[in-house]
Amino acid sequence: MLAKAQGQKMTPADDAEFLRRVWLDFDGGVPTADEARAFFADKAADKRSKLIDKLITAPRFAERMAEAFNVMLMERRGENEPWKAWLVNAFQSNQPWDAMVREMLAPDFLNEKQRGAGYFITRRLEKVGQQDTDYPGLTRDVGRMFMGVDLQCCQCHRHLSVDDYKQIDFNGLFAVYQNLKLQTADEKHKTPWVSEGAITAKYEFASVLTSKKAQTAPRVPFGEEVMIPVSTADDAWLVKPDRKTKEVGQPKFSPLHEIAQRLPVPENPLFAKNIANRVWFLFIGKGIVEPLDLHHTDNPPANPALLELLAKELTARHFDLRWLIREIAHTQTYQRSSTSADTHQRHLTAEQQLRAFLIVTGERERLEKNTKPDVKVDSAKYSLADFQKAFAAALANPAKEPELNANPSLRSALFLRNSDHVHWMLTPRPGNLIERLAAQADPAEDLYLSTLTRLPSAEEKDQLKSWLATHASDKAQALGDFAWALLSSTEFFVNH
Amino acid sequence: MNPLCTPGEHHLSRRAFLGGGLSLLATPVLAEALKQKDKQVLFVWLDGGLSQLESWDPKPNTEFGGPFRSIKTSVPGVHFSELMPKLAKQMHKLCVVRSMCTKDNAHSSGVDRIQRGDPTNRGVPYPHFGAGVAKLLGPGSSGLPPYVWIKPGSGGFRAEDAGFLGPKYGSLAFGDGKPPENLLRHPDISVEQDAARNELRRMLDQRFAAKREKRVVEANASVFDMAEKLMARADIFDTSRLPERDRERYGRHDLGQHMLVARQMLEAGVRFVKVTSYGWDTHGDNFNAHATMVPKFDQAFSAMLEDLEASGLLKTTLVICLSEFGRTPRINGHVGRDHWPEAWSIAMAGHGVRHGTLIGETNDKGTAVKSQPYDIGSMFHTWYRALGIDPLRTEFDNAGQPLPIAHDEMIPIKEALS
Repeated sequence: MLAKAQGQKMTPADDAEFLRRVWLDFDGGVPTADEARAFFADKAADKRSKLIDKLITAPRFAERMAEAFNVMLMERRGENEPWKAWLVNAFQSNQPWDAMVREMLAPDFLNEKQRGAGYFITRRLEKVGQQDTDYPGLTRDVGRMFMGVDLQCCQCHRHLSVDDYKQIDFNGLFAVYQNLKLQTADEKHKTPWVSEGAITAKYEFASVLTSKKAQTAPRVPFGEEVMIPVSTADDAWLVKPDRKTKEVGQPKFSPLHEIAQRLPVPENPLFAKNIANRVWFLFIGKGIVEPLDLHHTDNPPANPALLELLAKELTARHFDLRWLIREIAHTQTYQRSSTSADTHQRHLTAEQQLRAFLIVTGERERLEKNTKPDVKVDSAKYSLADFQKAFAAALANPAKEPELNANPSLRSALFLRNSDHVHWMLTPRPGNLIERLAAQADPAEDLYLSTLTRLPSAEEKDQLKSWLATHASDKAQALGDFAWALLSSTEFFVNH
Repeated sequence: MNPLCTPGEHHLSRRAFLGGGLSLLATPVLAEALKQKDKQVLFVWLDGGLSQLESWDPKPNTEFGGPFRSIKTSVPGVHFSELMPKLAKQMHKLCVVRSMCTKDNAHSSGVDRIQRGDPTNRGVPYPHFGAGVAKLLGPGSSGLPPYVWIKPGSGGFRAEDAGFLGPKYGSLAFGDGKPPENLLRHPDISVEQDAARNELRRMLDQRFAAKREKRVVEANASVFDMAEKLMARADIFDTSRLPERDRERYGRHDLGQHMLVARQMLEAGVRFVKVTSYGWDTHGDNFNAHATMVPKFDQAFSAMLEDLEASGLLKTTLVICLSEFGRTPRINGHVGRDHWPEAWSIAMAGHGVRHGTLIGETNDKGTAVKSQPYDIGSMFHTWYRALGIDPLRTEFDNAGQPLPIAHDEMIPIKEALS
């Protein structure tokens, strides 16, 4: 289906490159040496399809998607268990994207299964130091994340460089979100939650450039205003606020629900385009529209027909993300070789690096079992949580920025080179990579398959041989050092 | 070039002598010539807004003058606030501009605006001065990170400070003057082992790069190289080995000790060192606050000037001290002073600036600039010129789009340049 929209032919990726890529994208880690050998030996013509099907239905796929969407939607604002559980559950059950967005936009905080979704809003309304509650920031992110439009500049005036974005587009959403109040968790609500005030009139705003005044009811950007029901301040409430009982009240008219019903719908063309573009970015490394949050007339897609087709088909399939991802993985674009000039080498995220390190070094199970670390015992020194924290601190981008590419930094280089975490993983220990390799007369193949998911060249085999000969006094240490160099190399650090 | 024509004319004909908008930096010879000169910058940032009236531009015995007297400096006719006795003795090394008139009176936008030189809105975030210098002059022969920032609180890398120049030129902050995490070699790994495996990593990368786009490998290589250079100079974070007398002279407070780390960074060859001191936003109790804080600044900054002169570094280092704005002459109901971009002061010293010079003046009450007012764009012109970079002949390259390095409607303060 997508073949026509993609245009010219490209050099396809070989089995090794494809295998590593698909594993990093669907599992978030790398295959073991045995898994790689089995795939290379498989002569079936449809082995790539079968692998995609296997990985996309594995439980790990939902966790990997949850990690990727957590980074995309929350932009490193910290971890939150109910939110993560909600994401994993949504991807496990392949919940349609429009349903997911409805739950994020108007969370049912009393529903145990849904309240995790509320973190998208509640985290953004938390106060930071002396600063005001960031209602504009939340408004902006709803536009960015779910419609691919960054309306921030339109808070105070028309957008100076984007004609499509008007001041009313920002303020129609702002009317909804400035009406929220963050409430702390209590008996009834197990997580922080938000209450709404009663809206009985349109929201007024003025341009700082022209001083022209205007007003808007709650409104999805570029859409129709929601009718505000006529009511007096008194009869606007379903449950009236009461200071004595600390009842915050519940209005009859809920703009939050109105927007949640009107934004994630087929009639809103940007809703489908945004998610199609974001998923394409996640798997291809480049958006069809970039920046991801700047869809507008004067910033056309690199391939308009492709984005149109993806959005149309996704809508027809009721926003089935698993379908979309499977389609993308089957495209030539996805399966081309990274030696092609226009292929984007994506850096591994902190989560991918951690999982790949854990699988390569064979330390994953041990760390998962070590829930109570004991610094005095070498094998029990760390827990998985310790590693998650250390890898995120060293390799993740700063908070509140789109993590388009995890940039190598002084911090990440020092972490790889000097940290005890990395050193510990490459120290021989029962069942781990270095111990296994040290027992082999010719460990080159196992080492290269385990770390880089490919067989070593003759030159590379010779290089390892001479390295081991030069450092013959301690074979395990020599292997640990060689593995370190492979794991710190650019070939390992990029999804190519 | 005709030395008699005005900078304004240069501006008009800039495109012409750049040859169709091609940056002169594209000519490798010039770029290299610039980079070979080991000029450095010390950028002292008093966050929140130093009161010019309690420092560089006192107005004793006037309506808004406040309780402090003014004292003579080493330059006849120039007076500082009595809160700066040590700097007063060094006025002959300084160039003080009393005629700053900038636009933004909010911290949130002002801090950024001033450090980015407020170019006219071009739809792209401009680099901080430090990032601009890092880009134009490069890291220098030390190989250390070109733009470091010593500040109280947390550290880390701030890519956004580089604006459109790209993350490579962001600031590397050392929180509390402390080294970054994992700076030291792992105790279980020997020097030889560490060097050998790092060399191996480099060889593996070269082989990988041979078949693919070089940029990714280069980006990775540059951070490993920087890590190595910094590991080799871990001593620059350590002030404990310095003579006791030094640590006393700079003062046993954050600013003093951070300034001392900054001195070591400059001595080690870091291109641009920013030192930040927080807490100058004195909306309440302005005079007690300044009475406590200005002497600390006086002590640390004057010790730095003395040492840079003694070591000869002042000859090659441009020193700048400023805030995002000054403070209101009018004293508010909380005995405080509020934000005042309309009339405030900046101090400079070192390479390229005319020493012992006072530029501009404010009116009797200090409420407005009486002489030619200067916006921050003029200071960027002045600083770049002091560093030997001509903003009229040098441009940034924003992915093919040439952009001026300093506000293209402003000119340098000639009298401030040596």
